[in-house]
Amino acid sequence: MSAKLTTTQKVTFLPDINKPGQEQTSPWSRMQKKGKETETAQPAKSQTPTVSKDEIALFRNSVRQNACVEMLRGGFHRSFSELFSLLQRWKEIRLAAGPGSAIWQHKSLEEQPAKLHTLRHYLTKAETALRAGAWSAVYDQQVFLAQYFREPEDRWLSCHFYQTSLNSARRVKIDGGRKEAEALANMGQVYMEQGQLDSAREQYECFYQLTAGRAWRSEGGRSLHCQACEGLWRVYTQLAERPLQANDYRAAIDTLSKAFQMAKEGEGDQCVALQIKLTKCSHSINTCLSVCLSSLAGDHRIEGEAAYRVGLAYQCVGDQVTAKRFLNMYMEMSTALGDAGGLGKAYKAIAKSLESEGKLSETVQYLEKFAEVSQGNNQYHNLEEACMCLGVIFNSRGQYERGCTYFERGYEIARDLEEVPLLQRAQVFVGSARAYSMIRKYSRSVETASHSDLLLLTAWKESRQNVFTDTTGSAEGKI
Amino acid sequence: MSSTTRSKSHVSVLTSAVNPLANPRGAKKLCELCQNLAYLQCTKCRVTFYCDTEHQQADWVGIHEKICQLLIPIRTAMPFHSLQADRDHHRAQILHRQEELIEISRAVAQKKLFEGKYQESLPAAQLSLRCAMDVYGPSAVQLVPAYLLLAEANVGLGSLSQAEGYLSQAEWTVMKTPECSQTVRHQLHRNLGRLYTATENLEGALLHFANDVYYASEEYGLDNIVTCGGYFLMANVFIKQEKMDIASSLYTEVASTWHSHLTKLLETHTPGSMTLEHSFDEAQQAEADQMLRAMLKVQESSPKQATAQNTLVAHSLAMLWFLGGSPDKALEFGRKALQSSQLVPDHSLTEPIQGLLQLAAERGPHLTIAS
Repeated sequence: MSAKLTTTQKVTFLPDINKPGQEQTSPWSRMQKKGKETETAQPAKSQTPTVSKDEIALFRNSVRQNACVEMLRGGFHRSFSELFSLLQRWKEIRLAAGPGSAIWQHKSLEEQPAKLHTLRHYLTKAETALRAGAWSAVYDQQVFLAQYFREPEDRWLSCHFYQTSLNSARRVKIDGGRKEAEALANMGQVYMEQGQLDSAREQYECFYQLTAGRAWRSEGGRSLHCQACEGLWRVYTQLAERPLQANDYRAAIDTLSKAFQMAKEGEGDQCVALQIKLTKCSHSINTCLSVCLSSLAGDHRIEGEAAYRVGLAYQCVGDQVTAKRFLNMYMEMSTALGDAGGLGKAYKAIAKSLESEGKLSETVQYLEKFAEVSQGNNQYHNLEEACMCLGVIFNSRGQYERGCTYFERGYEIARDLEEVPLLQRAQVFVGSARAYSMIRKYSRSVETASHSDLLLLTAWKESRQNVFTDTTGSAEGKI
Repeated sequence: MSSTTRSKSHVSVLTSAVNPLANPRGAKKLCELCQNLAYLQCTKCRVTFYCDTEHQQADWVGIHEKICQLLIPIRTAMPFHSLQADRDHHRAQILHRQEELIEISRAVAQKKLFEGKYQESLPAAQLSLRCAMDVYGPSAVQLVPAYLLLAEANVGLGSLSQAEGYLSQAEWTVMKTPECSQTVRHQLHRNLGRLYTATENLEGALLHFANDVYYASEEYGLDNIVTCGGYFLMANVFIKQEKMDIASSLYTEVASTWHSHLTKLLETHTPGSMTLEHSFDEAQQAEADQMLRAMLKVQESSPKQATAQNTLVAHSLAMLWFLGGSPDKALEFGRKALQSSQLVPDHSLTEPIQGLLQLAAERGPHLTIAS
């Protein structure tokens, strides 16, 4: 029992006033303490949401300022200067162009936060790589950025990044200049798009020299050297346009032959397309063309194509005999290859030359062959063309009925093809052919004005049927 | 030493005792610096009062020597003019004089700050603040530069809480005026950055320096010496954070900007002009000198010696001192630059350095001790 007593706690009745450092127990202080406890008991339920300084800055400052400050805080001062100068340059270009130009309506980069963020991200990555001295990584980032800005209004950005990528590619020493070659190719393309042909030519020539003898391949599997050749071919072809238009044939031939060299060295397909250009400007066609043809021996299809174009060229010049010779060659090769389309083209071309020679019956023959082949091949356009040509020939010879049938056939095909210009043309021809076939008898009926003729005329007016040819078919025979 | 004793005796000559009890009722004469009851009066202008000779000495050295006479028209009571036009004219004149005073005191404070004399710059800064308050009101945006000067001085002295007080006042004023100019904003952020660097809050310092560089670029352009001042301060923070590569790339940027700026100045002044001293603002010169010397020290102490960089910095220092009018220092730095440029084969700067050395050698015996 006494043990029980001693274990119970001793609680004094009155508070101890003598102990120092005792907590205040007045009602006011107790109320305050309770208040503080309740406050601390709910730390999560604060009245106002706390916002960090960064979030305030994001809200208050412009997008451009936020991007710049972010970059500077990380120490990326080069990215900052690049972005800043790009934005500045855009503003200057826009001001210089003045209101009313196309660029005035474009949104600036500052109003497109997504683009700004991408720029910032990749520029900072490039700078980290630069600090580490890894120039190839820098090059990759810049090429990515150049390809990101594909829209026409961001062309200038893309161009800028291609240029910077070329500079950083030049610093890459370990891979023997491959990145530099790629960068040169990109720059060449950019200049071509902008129309600066001379700068494009320089870039492509450097590219060509770098890739000469190296077996580098791009991601698509195509050899870089072939790309160089193709690029140079295109540049030369475009460079030759100007002297051609100015009728300066010498210069044009020089440039075009350089282009031809490139095309040959590349993959040979483009050679064919060059020949028309060459023939247009050359007076000494034979030497030119024979050179072209002889160099192309081997691939029958290409040779056939070449022959076809040569034939066409001769047609243009007016030498139909040689043209027909070449076209016959093409025809044979096409038949040998089973190329119905080519055969059709050959027939058409031959028919054309025969027409210009004036041998209409043979023309008709060939055109019919053309029509057959096209029909067999389901080449409706060609078929329609064939019918039209035949109709025209018959018209010119006076055989309006046959012409009319062919025209109607052409009209039906055009209708099936649902091509309005062809349809309209066919309609016109059909109408005119029918008119021609009726005109003589109609005018005679009008002149004689006998009772039967008048009946015929009124019947025609009512029904618009071709009543004349039926009754006077025999009459024509008589006349 | 002799100059200070001379001015000290000068000051005591200018003092005359003033009894506070002798003043008319309500017209308390307060000390210029501490705003306590004043017992001394400056005899030259008779409108400035001090509590003791220490404060008078400090004020004399700080600003009073330059503006003693200018204070008289401002602080004397307005004379009686019977015409309103006369009164307006008088008021306009007073205003004009006050604005002049603000400008002068600000310039003096700025110069002393760049030279590193923080304690001495305090009177001038305080005067500029008080005058600006009189002219523009207690919470106008024109007070911000004065606040910034005071904050910078306090940071230099180490009394960071005071500096923080002034800077928060400045920040608040800037926040309340949205059309505040970008120059003021960049200066504000620069000082905030300095404060945060002193309090070792490096992330905050970087944020403010970033803002400073942004506003400075907006105002002055990317290649300006003001912008690269911000870069220099950022580089110091990065050094404290041990990110040496970022710091060195920033230093490169600063060095090249200053180098091109100085080369341009030198080109425009080489054709035989004698007024070389005036081409350069003294404050800017002091700042540039401090920056370039610090960079040189850091580069020389770093393990991998970037000699090209050293050449650039040393050459810039040489040009700076040549344009500032002390050709012997120019010669010293020029020789250093030549040394480091010869270590790098085929350096493009060797010729200009040699040209500069020649010029400095020519000018040396002709010029008297200018600075």
